[in-house]
Amino acid sequence: MTDIVISDLQQAQDAIQDAVAAKSRLELRAGGTKRHLGRAASYDAVLDVSAFSGIIDYQPEELVLTLRAGTPMEIVEAALAEARQILAFEPPRLSRILGEGAPGASGTIGGVIAANLSGPRRLTAGAARDYLLGFEAVSGRGELFKSGGKVMKNVTGYDLSKLMCGSFGTLGVMDEITLKTLPAPETARSLLVGHDSLIDAVSGIASIFATAHEPGAAAILPQTVAAEEGVDLGMPFTAVIRLEGIEASVADRLGHLLALSGGEPLDADRSAALWQRIRDIQPLAERPHDIWKVSCAPSDAPRVMAALDPGLDVRMIADWAGGLLWIAGTSPHIGTALRAAIAGLGSGFAMLIRDVGATRESIAPFQPLSGPVLELHKRVKASFDPLGVLNYERMHEGM
Amino acid sequence: MNRRDDICGALRRMLPDGCVVDSTESMKAFDSDGLSAYRQVPLAVVLPETVEQIAAVMKYCHEQGVKVVPRGAGTSLSGGALPLADAVLLGLGKFNRILEVDYANRCVVAQPGVTNLAITHAVQADGFYYAPDPSSQIACSVGGNVAENSGGVHCLKYGLTTNNLLGVEIVTIEGEILRFGGKHLDSGDYDLLGVMTGSEGLLGVVSEVTLRILQKPATARALLVGFEDTGDAGKAVGDVIAAGIIPAGMEMMDGLAINAAEDFANAGYPREAAALLIIELDGPEVEVDALIERVEAIVRKAGATSVRVSQSEEERNLFWAGRKSAFPAVGRISPDYLCMDGTIPRRRLPDMMRRMNSLSQQYGLRVANVFHAGDGNLHPLILFDANQPGELERAEEFGADILRSCVEMGGVLTGEHGVGVEKRDLMNIQFTEDDLKQQQRLKCAFDPGHLLNPGKVFPHLHRCAELGRLHVHKGKLPHPDLPRF
Ligand SMILES: Cc1cc2nc3c(=O)[nH]c(=O)nc-3n(C[C@H](O)[C@H](O)[C@H](O)COP(=O)(O)OP(=O)(O)OC[C@H]3O[C@@H](n4cnc5c(N)ncnc54)[C@H](O)[C@@H]3O)c2cc1C
Repeated sequence: MTDIVISDLQQAQDAIQDAVAAKSRLELRAGGTKRHLGRAASYDAVLDVSAFSGIIDYQPEELVLTLRAGTPMEIVEAALAEARQILAFEPPRLSRILGEGAPGASGTIGGVIAANLSGPRRLTAGAARDYLLGFEAVSGRGELFKSGGKVMKNVTGYDLSKLMCGSFGTLGVMDEITLKTLPAPETARSLLVGHDSLIDAVSGIASIFATAHEPGAAAILPQTVAAEEGVDLGMPFTAVIRLEGIEASVADRLGHLLALSGGEPLDADRSAALWQRIRDIQPLAERPHDIWKVSCAPSDAPRVMAALDPGLDVRMIADWAGGLLWIAGTSPHIGTALRAAIAGLGSGFAMLIRDVGATRESIAPFQPLSGPVLELHKRVKASFDPLGVLNYERMHEGM
Repeated sequence: MNRRDDICGALRRMLPDGCVVDSTESMKAFDSDGLSAYRQVPLAVVLPETVEQIAAVMKYCHEQGVKVVPRGAGTSLSGGALPLADAVLLGLGKFNRILEVDYANRCVVAQPGVTNLAITHAVQADGFYYAPDPSSQIACSVGGNVAENSGGVHCLKYGLTTNNLLGVEIVTIEGEILRFGGKHLDSGDYDLLGVMTGSEGLLGVVSEVTLRILQKPATARALLVGFEDTGDAGKAVGDVIAAGIIPAGMEMMDGLAINAAEDFANAGYPREAAALLIIELDGPEVEVDALIERVEAIVRKAGATSVRVSQSEEERNLFWAGRKSAFPAVGRISPDYLCMDGTIPRRRLPDMMRRMNSLSQQYGLRVANVFHAGDGNLHPLILFDANQPGELERAEEFGADILRSCVEMGGVLTGEHGVGVEKRDLMNIQFTEDDLKQQQRLKCAFDPGHLLNPGKVFPHLHRCAELGRLHVHKGKLPHPDLPRF
């Protein structure tokens, strides 16, 4: 397979117009850390955009960062750290579970955006899609276009930024993107609360969110995982609640919540280390397991888990107050069971994130769409990429 | 029988009694929205009561090639809900029920005609609220909020509608009922929920919404800060954010707006100030108290000439009373006004103020300014008298020049009010022809016949077939200059 290395959108236009003329299919690649997400499709050539790298303009007091989409996350994070700011959606490093790309590769910001990856703070601060303010791209038609802007508040025209987030490179090749940044919290600490069951853990978290003590993130670890992570409370489930803000505020809120829930505190360093591991799904990384991501209404988490036969022998961690489940195991039936559970609930999705064998050949990695919604997706795809030049069938068959 | 009678007859047959309004007299109530300089009586008004009825109307209109303009409460300031003479106006006013309050998942499911404030009212007894708070919140509908992606004074910290919306049910122009999102957080596919938000009624009719609700902050306090110089005020805003503080709201008013508001609300605003900031902090009490001190020090250092810190809830509300009545207050000092809505990078604020002053002289019209200063969203209010021949046109040109300046300074045409008909013809200042074509192709994916709210947002309507055509560079050789490995 050929590698077409391009360094700007002009060259992207040329390469895509060639592909249009030749009716060939291109695989978009920057860091390469997420290329095994999605369907196993085959391509005629790789369009390598890893040269689209660098920060273009960063104005911390405007909360606006403009950079090229292929910029490695290490560079992004270093620049933000210097200004004591963050990407509030807390992008995870999936490279750690996917084990792909160059050694130590952190992935690129474009990959994070294309996969709409968000970490624990997504529960209260929003997803990657909430922080992309604007972009410039070349469509699968070979045309240069932009959408959004470089200011925080903008409703001019359709919000194509939302569409680009989570489109897995199927709509366009992005170069310049603008993100909203936020100040880093001065400190963060956590609270651990033991629970008898997942139902109790989810409703315990809900009652903490019904207070004015502003929890910012909430995960649930089953006892085996809690033990491995050094936070075992001797209960079947441990809820981990994170509080962020200025020191006086965090101390005050932690005090209130400890009194209310009877939990145990976790100091700033241990809290940071644990949340980073939760963010990156590290507790599930080491074993040779498939990993599924389930997004559901938080209160549905126990029902999703109950749909998994104990014989399937899964490991899991829950984040987003129960609204995000990471489920690991080897059985090919996990996906089928999750999809059936979600169909019963009527909302949510299950996506295969890591495939250690050949699971994605027997079950679609993306949650299948219903008839009219799939048709609409195909029309949306065609409106950007009528011939299917870009990452064709990466998400769904026939688009 | 003419075509209009046919259409009205067919609509009557598919809807219950009283759901079709087609006498010119009674349709007058629907002939404009918040951009009241523009009026048009529609072909007919329909007020369906169920989703199935919306679907039936849409299906019929689609089959017959009849245009449809959705309408919520009709408070749009950009003419988004302005009727068309040859279109059915589809009013969502009867969809006024809250369907579910779900505290376990911290969301409310509501029909689109429910008012913004009614969501907060439904949950406030339990300590919750719905964060986006447009000044029109007692009147505007949540469906309209989704269509316009509306903001409010607190969106600096809490986001616009798009950041607080979990799911929608929509009816397509074909009459199909679809759902995007739900009570779960992430959509695993194309973010059509995000695309619907802010689409100004051009992609589908929102028939149900699922909104995220938040626990009300324990406390809120505000500072009222006067400056002799707008530049200093602008700098103070940047300094607060640079210090790592994101206030719940950070609003600015200029001299004319300060005095109009003070006349109206007696909020105790410093009349001599050239700029006034209202900075609100909310959260746990210890945090708010600590941050108020920090912010006070920052604004003093930036050159504040007066600083008041609210000592009670009444005082905080008083600080806001002037700002919240800024529109009616300006309405008292001028027979008419136009409200503009551009956004600029915040650091360009002093340049923008100078530009507006010189434009004000050039056009011979006064302008009062209220800003969502934290996020650079301007609301210049251009004062004019529609009874003076030519003044409306002059005011509109003045407004267009302000928006042009916004784009020149790196900003955008509209921060929260939408494009509608008002800014439609300015779109090509901000976007290239190809940018606009790509947006219209997306429109074609939803509504290939351009039947939904046509004439809004886009200056030129291209036929979908023409937009879809691919210009293949036939026989072109692969580029020799590209490295291939
Ligand atoms: C005094 C005043 C103050 C305001 N303050 C603010 C403010 O602070 N912030 C702000 O953002 N806006 C503000 N606005 C603007 C306006 O209130 C908002 O845009 C609001 O969201 C419009 O809601 P509506 O129900 O009135 O919609 P309408 O005016 O009826 O319609 C607006 C647009 O949405 C479409 N639409 C409406 N309902 C639906 C639906 N169910 N499905 C599909 N499309 C639909 C219409 O076709 C139209 O294009 C203000 C307006 C006024 C008059």
